[in-house]
Amino acid sequence: MIRTQSRTSTLIARELKKSYDGFEAVKGVDFEVYRGECYGFLGPNGAGKTTTMKMIYGAVIPTDGELEVAGLDVRRCEREIKRRIGVVPQENNLDDDLKVKENLLVYGRYYDLPRKVALRRAEELLEFVELTERAESPVDQLSGGMKRRLLIARALINDPEIVVLDEPTTGLDPQARHLVWDRLRALAAEGKTLVLTTHYMEEAARLCDRLVIMEGGLIIAQGSPKELIEEHVSPQVLEFRAGPEELERLRPVVEATADAVERTGEALLVFTADADTIMDRVRECGVEVENTVYRHAGLEDVFLRLTGRRLIE
Amino acid sequence: MGAIRVPSPRGAFRVWQRNVTIFRKYWKSIMFPNFIEPLLYLAALGLGLGAFIQQGGINGQSYIQYIAPGLLASNAMFAASFESTFNTFVKFEINKIYDAIITTPVNAEDVVAGEYLWAGTRAALYGTAFLAVLTVLGFAFGEPLISSWWALFIPPALLVIGVMFSVMGTLFTSLIQRIDFYAYYFTLVVTPLFLFSGIFFPVENFPAPVPQIAWFTPLYHAVNLCRALATGPSLATLVDAAWILVFTAGLALVPVQIMRRRLIG
Ligand SMILES: Nc1ncnc2c1ncn2[C@@H]1O[C@H](COP(=O)(O)OP(=O)(O)OP(=O)(O)O)[C@@H](O)[C@H]1O
Ligand SMILES: [Mg+2]
Repeated sequence: MIRTQSRTSTLIARELKKSYDGFEAVKGVDFEVYRGECYGFLGPNGAGKTTTMKMIYGAVIPTDGELEVAGLDVRRCEREIKRRIGVVPQENNLDDDLKVKENLLVYGRYYDLPRKVALRRAEELLEFVELTERAESPVDQLSGGMKRRLLIARALINDPEIVVLDEPTTGLDPQARHLVWDRLRALAAEGKTLVLTTHYMEEAARLCDRLVIMEGGLIIAQGSPKELIEEHVSPQVLEFRAGPEELERLRPVVEATADAVERTGEALLVFTADADTIMDRVRECGVEVENTVYRHAGLEDVFLRLTGRRLIE
Repeated sequence: MGAIRVPSPRGAFRVWQRNVTIFRKYWKSIMFPNFIEPLLYLAALGLGLGAFIQQGGINGQSYIQYIAPGLLASNAMFAASFESTFNTFVKFEINKIYDAIITTPVNAEDVVAGEYLWAGTRAALYGTAFLAVLTVLGFAFGEPLISSWWALFIPPALLVIGVMFSVMGTLFTSLIQRIDFYAYYFTLVVTPLFLFSGIFFPVENFPAPVPQIAWFTPLYHAVNLCRALATGPSLATLVDAAWILVFTAGLALVPVQIMRRRLIG
């Protein structure tokens, strides 16, 4: 955050749009990613995240607007851009006819890497994603999480300056997820630019310097995780659990002093800067509460506030 | 955006190379059927049916001598057709191999061209092995099945013939959404070509317009070319070779454009 002054942009989108046969999946988005930062895209299913990622890596051509990647126009320099980026797609597309290490070596050939360089990088990368023991396994014998890690290794074979990761940790167990986070942080520390999509708020909060929230093909909020929380929700949250009737009686009691009150299936969420006062009110009113949780507001609260608590599709 | 895309040889080579890498692992187990099939035709028709064909055979050749070079051409057609239909469809729609490749500096158009080259290579490999068998069998029968040194040009000819049928197969692949539709392609295109392109009997003896129609079909010229190279070519062979080259070059870029549009949204 301190380096703001010296930052140069490596990815710039202006009024970027994409329609599939008349259906507008991305309706005009603007964003700017600085070199060396980790930039996140959050949003419910169908928000247009993958479509945006695909425009970056050349698998989808924008219908309208501008998109520059590593200073190059995606419409005119597709090969050069692809040479300089790495891609982890949302859907696994490893080469099933090849073994684990072969996947990396054959992929390296697509970038014209000399055989020796490819071999060295493949070994380093297998080490990096902790798959060295599986180097000679057929790909279809890997677990889902191992495949995901191999995809990350594959995306790095050309030593890219920008890495695009579409849901890199979906389907991973907690250990594997932490491993991937760790590796992504290492990449960021090397100075690589990371662009990722995720459905995990914790992931976004831990990894992303800045992020956007998309919904319905539009960006509805952007900023650092901290800024987003400060801007859209109050710092403290009280969650009261009780029967539906009790919660309804509780609502007017807290509404008067809280910044915002949200009702989920079994709880009442109260956003405030002053949890003590709310607690006092609740105690005074005499409604029986089974369970109270006090916590700091997080990205998930922002996300749910902005995109609503129902299923959007 | 609407510009016609021309493949890069470098990218096409990389895709070809991928296929070679995989083929080298499995060739022993997959080559056998492709190889045995023409021998079955040769045995059943050349020896079996040939025994009933009157003395003198066709154009001064025994029946088995007549059909052997034609089977080289049809073998190339089958090899390239399977490669550009079922195999390509699986890589494209099921295993999403091409989606992965096109995120690298290899473009969608290079992928298609690489697959053409690979199908041609495969046709040439199978054909060369079959050619060797025919040569040896000829000695065994005491009547040569391959009688000209021009036969050394058969492998490169099969490469081009393979590319031609790969372009046709890929065109069909680029137009269909479901793998089941290949039944149409094989029943309505490949099988009729196999039966009516002069492999088993000369189509020239049929009344018009059969020979005229045959002239406009690809396998007819491939059979002529292989037969001429096996026995010694004439000037007419140049027409067959030119037909194949013009047809292939004229059609090659069409599947490239359609596949690109399917791979890139
Ligand atoms: N090839 C396509 N043809 C037609 N519509 C498409 C195509 N790809 C995506 N869409 C539509 O575009 C919209 C955005 O899809 P996209 O895959 O970008 O969403 P997403 O934000 O990545 O969702 P998820 O979180 O589920 O991965 C969706 O409504 C989807 O149905
Ligand atoms: Mg997606």
